[in-house]
Amino acid sequence: MSTLTKVLIVLLTVFSIFLCGIVVTYVANAENYRATADSQRSQIQTMRNARDAAVASEEQAKQQAAQLKAELDQQINDLKVAMTEIQGRLDAVKRDNTLKEQQVANQTAAVKLANQAATEQTRLFENVQQEIESLRAEQTKRTKELNETTQTLLEKMAVIAQLEQKTRQLTEAKQEVETRLNQMLQQYGRVAARPQTVTPTRAAAQPAPQRAAKKIDLDGKVTGVDPKNRLAEISIGAAAGVRQDMKFHVTRGEQFVCDILIFEVYPDKAVGILDLIQIEPRVGDAVTTNL
Amino acid sequence: MSPMPQARGGKISPANNLYTAILAVALGVVIASAAFVAFKCYTQYATIFGTP
Repeated sequence: MSTLTKVLIVLLTVFSIFLCGIVVTYVANAENYRATADSQRSQIQTMRNARDAAVASEEQAKQQAAQLKAELDQQINDLKVAMTEIQGRLDAVKRDNTLKEQQVANQTAAVKLANQAATEQTRLFENVQQEIESLRAEQTKRTKELNETTQTLLEKMAVIAQLEQKTRQLTEAKQEVETRLNQMLQQYGRVAARPQTVTPTRAAAQPAPQRAAKKIDLDGKVTGVDPKNRLAEISIGAAAGVRQDMKFHVTRGEQFVCDILIFEVYPDKAVGILDLIQIEPRVGDAVTTNL
Repeated sequence: MSPMPQARGGKISPANNLYTAILAVALGVVIASAAFVAFKCYTQYATIFGTP
């Protein structure tokens, strides 16, 4: 065997061993792409299944959502209808409310007018009441005057009856005296002269002379005193001639006490405000319009 | 070309066992490598020559 052959054999061996070593190393360390591909494939399949399941669940969820949306739309429509109906009722109620408010306003105005009328009637009634009171006082006064006048008339009539009787007696006595006188004078040829009356003849009517205004001259007594409010009550009223704004002077014996300015008059009494108080008045003090 | 004359038609006998052993080792390594590669291919891809 030649040297070259030997060298070639050695080189062949070395390189073979080297090459085989490389190949074995490479094959041993090579990645199992099939297993990787299979696992990837199985993963892909799993994911595809999951994707399909997700798509299916998405479809189902979409269907449920669509169904829910349809139900909600139906509810919305129903609610809109209900709302429209309620809105209509609300409008009707508002109209009724407006009408009722107008009626209330009208009734309020009517009540106000009625109140005004009642107030006016009350005022008129009070005025009439005051007139009635004054008329009653006037009536009382007139009745009292009538009674006094009647009494005076009866007295005068009694006096007149007495005087007539006396006149008749005097006339009879006069006639008897004249008869006797004539009888006596006839003896001497005379007759009695006609007596002259002492009753004065009436002159022609003349206007009455102007008289100066006379004093009121009302007298009474203090029947009540309110020093806290400076009020006092007297025993005479409209029947005696007391009028509002009259001034009475209160005296106690010869001493001046105070003045009373009348502001309220009743038929048989009057109330006034105390003025010019010198001494505290008390019940029983005399009141008069003229000192 | 060897200067030693050789008989025509005779058997060829190995002149040196060392180099034979070396060749046998190389051959064994190659065959072992091929067997290993085939085994690996079969276990991994279930085929030796075809595409997996």
